[in-house]
Amino acid sequence: MSDDAELLQRIRAGATDEFAELVRRHQSRVFAVLHRYERDPQRREDLAQETFLKAWRALAQFDGRAPFEHWISRIARRTALDHLRKEKRRNNEIGFAELGEDALDWLRTGDEKSELDARSAAEILGRAMRELSPADRVVITMQELEGCSIREIAAALGASGVAVRVRAMRARAKLKQALEILAEHEK
Amino acid sequence: MKNKLKQLFAAARNEAAPLPSPDFAAAVLHAVRREPAPPAAEASSLFDQLNLLFPRVVLAAATIIVLCVAADFGLTSANLPELGDGAAQVSSQWLFNPGDL
Repeated sequence: MSDDAELLQRIRAGATDEFAELVRRHQSRVFAVLHRYERDPQRREDLAQETFLKAWRALAQFDGRAPFEHWISRIARRTALDHLRKEKRRNNEIGFAELGEDALDWLRTGDEKSELDARSAAEILGRAMRELSPADRVVITMQELEGCSIREIAAALGASGVAVRVRAMRARAKLKQALEILAEHEK
Repeated sequence: MKNKLKQLFAAARNEAAPLPSPDFAAAVLHAVRREPAPPAAEASSLFDQLNLLFPRVVLAAATIIVLCVAADFGLTSANLPELGDGAAQVSSQWLFNPGDL
């Protein structure tokens, strides 16, 4: 299998159909990024398609200095951020989302040693993160769920390291508050 | 609640990412075909760069020629001494005039 550089060269030379191969190579990564921001499968797929279309339109700007995977991940995060901004405006009137019983039980209990499955944890976090601003949500997701460093987050968002640290701290405080409210509300 | 948040992050990190639908790449390609072709990579050779600048270079050259012709015409009309007059004057004042030798 040829590497991305050769594939990109052929696509730029007019082999449009080869773009499908590029999509197949990187779709898992794009879905993994978008899954952190959108849990609805249909909307997530729409965002993934939008991500690849943006990449197609900007293909001439990709200089190959960084791996294609990093570039497409950055586009996916920006697409997610735009989506969150739109959703934030739309979701302001929506009340508490339905959480699974397991998630609710775990949230209500004071026992911090009890285990929680990944899906339930993601459900609770997804609900609590609705209280954050889109930019705060991207920062905390990149840091805590994707394991990115402050420098990587700052570079991806075009912000300073200090600004990222402040956002992350603020996001954690808001999340704790949101979890307390959620636990009280769902009792 | 601080520990609960840490536990949530740790557990959510392990959540498996969903797989795209089998025809996802084909759907993207279908959407891409409706898009205009992506712009070609920027020209890098000197000739390519000159070609890109061609209309501007022509305009600049034409402006310079017009300015030179206008200046020449203006100076001639003002009866200012020409370069040839100055040369004749210098030649007549030259210490060793060829006619004296």
